[in-house]
Amino acid sequence: MSRYLLRRLYLMAFVFLALSLFAFSLGYLFPGDVIQNLSGLRQIDDEQRQQLINYYQLDQNYLQQYLAFLSRIAQGNWGLSFASQQPLLQEIKLLLPATLELTAYALLLSFILGIPLGIVAAFKPHSLIGKSISALAIAGYSLPIFWWGLLLIMLFSLALGWLPSAGRLGVLYEIPHSSGFMLVDILQADVKYRSEAFHNALRHLLLPTIVLATFPTTVMIRFVRDAMLNVWEQNYIKTAQAKGLSRGQVLYRHGLRNALLPVIRQIGLQFSTLITLAMLTEVIFSWPGIGRWLIDSIYQRNYPAIQAGLLVISTMVITINMLTEILHALFNPLARRG
Amino acid sequence: MSKFRLYLEENNRSPVKQLWREFKRQHSAMTGLVLFISFFVISLLAPFITPHDPYLQVDELLLLPPSWSAAGLVQYPFGTDDLGRDLLSRMIKGTSYTFGFALITVTGALLMGLLLGALAGMSKGVKSSVFNHVLDLALTIPSLLLAIIIVAITGPGLMNTTWAIMLALLPQFVHGIRNAIDEELKQDYVIAYRLDGANDWDVFSRLILPNIWEKLTIMVTMGISTAILDIAALGFLGFGAQAPLSEWGAMISDSLDLIYLAPSSVAIPGLLIFSAVLSVNLVGDGLKTAILKRRQS
Repeated sequence: MSRYLLRRLYLMAFVFLALSLFAFSLGYLFPGDVIQNLSGLRQIDDEQRQQLINYYQLDQNYLQQYLAFLSRIAQGNWGLSFASQQPLLQEIKLLLPATLELTAYALLLSFILGIPLGIVAAFKPHSLIGKSISALAIAGYSLPIFWWGLLLIMLFSLALGWLPSAGRLGVLYEIPHSSGFMLVDILQADVKYRSEAFHNALRHLLLPTIVLATFPTTVMIRFVRDAMLNVWEQNYIKTAQAKGLSRGQVLYRHGLRNALLPVIRQIGLQFSTLITLAMLTEVIFSWPGIGRWLIDSIYQRNYPAIQAGLLVISTMVITINMLTEILHALFNPLARRG
Repeated sequence: MSKFRLYLEENNRSPVKQLWREFKRQHSAMTGLVLFISFFVISLLAPFITPHDPYLQVDELLLLPPSWSAAGLVQYPFGTDDLGRDLLSRMIKGTSYTFGFALITVTGALLMGLLLGALAGMSKGVKSSVFNHVLDLALTIPSLLLAIIIVAITGPGLMNTTWAIMLALLPQFVHGIRNAIDEELKQDYVIAYRLDGANDWDVFSRLILPNIWEKLTIMVTMGISTAILDIAALGFLGFGAQAPLSEWGAMISDSLDLIYLAPSSVAIPGLLIFSAVLSVNLVGDGLKTAILKRRQS
């Protein structure tokens, strides 16, 4: 196991090295002035330019510049946003929890719905229930998420008026910012309208979560169903049945444990798709998260922000990927060899 | 596990024929295939079969409702948009943008992936390990994010989107092809063939390619559905096809501000994207099942 961990860590170090190289080169690849792209300052006079060249070591060779870039990233000095002229790291710190909150609930929902449905679909693959679950899964799998979000807004917000269509919380409530996670903040807040605010935040969460969860849920259903069907064919299942275990016992002791093992790994793989979809969902529901911010940054040609957004999102995705791989290896001794 | 057979019957049909036999037994897969072929034909013939010029703006017919409502005209089955352009013609033209460009994208990604995947799969040692690490990185960056960054560097436009999505799809193709080749190389018949004096190229062209094409087709169908969704998503965000191109995703974002007046102009392009992706996925699922059954029989 420790050898496996070492290998993983080495791989992770390599991936981060490559990622930092890519992010570093973006500052030069983007159109426009390199100094502006690096610093995020819009107006630079001559004296300042000379200072910045010294600061970014632009007169040195690329290796020096790269090392300077790394130390800036480590110190948290990520430059300014073109649009707001605020430090990027602070902006990201404010936005990231909103995205994480939405993604976490969507992922949770996809597990709660996806795994049982997948098991049911695998248990009776040729019955009406099994077939309709599979049909539903493939339909959900094919939905363009932005259109699906618009449809739900059209139905529940415009036509029926049941749910709000944008934002995280109604403007009536003011919740002091502490952790950035809306529900946690509300529970911690010392205000009179706590339960109303909580209710309101939940209503705001409902539609985006459903839209974002659609794709991972269907992937989960298909994945669990295929894994279950596959495991059900194995010889040890037949052995267990021959030994006289009841259907439920076989399912629980031999079927589920083996079929659900790869699901852990699936979290990591799902996470990167989920982040992409979260960007679209945030745009549609005006959710103040990092995805919408990143897309706005592209509209505004806010190159420092794009670079920082890439770094943050990729670091997050890589870390989660690695963690789930390690977890998977922890549960499954066979995976440690690879 | 082979089943017990009472009569010894020879089953010497070619793999493609066996596959087709299993494939056409599935109704859903056949439906998908018919849909897929019709989208393909429409995307090829789009310039010839549009009833009106998709870019012609008729001033007298602004925001005409679809023909099933009382105020609609039968010459304009889906109505017109706010500039008086025929929506049906725009959607037919859009098929070649969204669906056709998705096919081109995937073909390009497949060819590049085959080349790189073969190089990675056949090479050993440091070269392949470095390559794998680079791939791992590329796989962790979400494809849409990668596409968005490429578009941010090159600027918006349909051609740039195509390149961006091609590059974004490439890692998963290379990864899949490399794994398939790795699996093939472990087979005993490869060793036997090598002992007969075959070089790398012989092994690749005679043994590996014929044995991985089934996996390739599944990869291609998954790639097409991703490509359609990504092209439409980028078009919707305004990074892909620019006005006046009638790409489906761009059409949805164009008619967003008319969502109260003409909900059908948002609903129908979305429905088209949905059915195009659904057809690809149905074919992919059917192929997967057919391959599984063919291997078992």
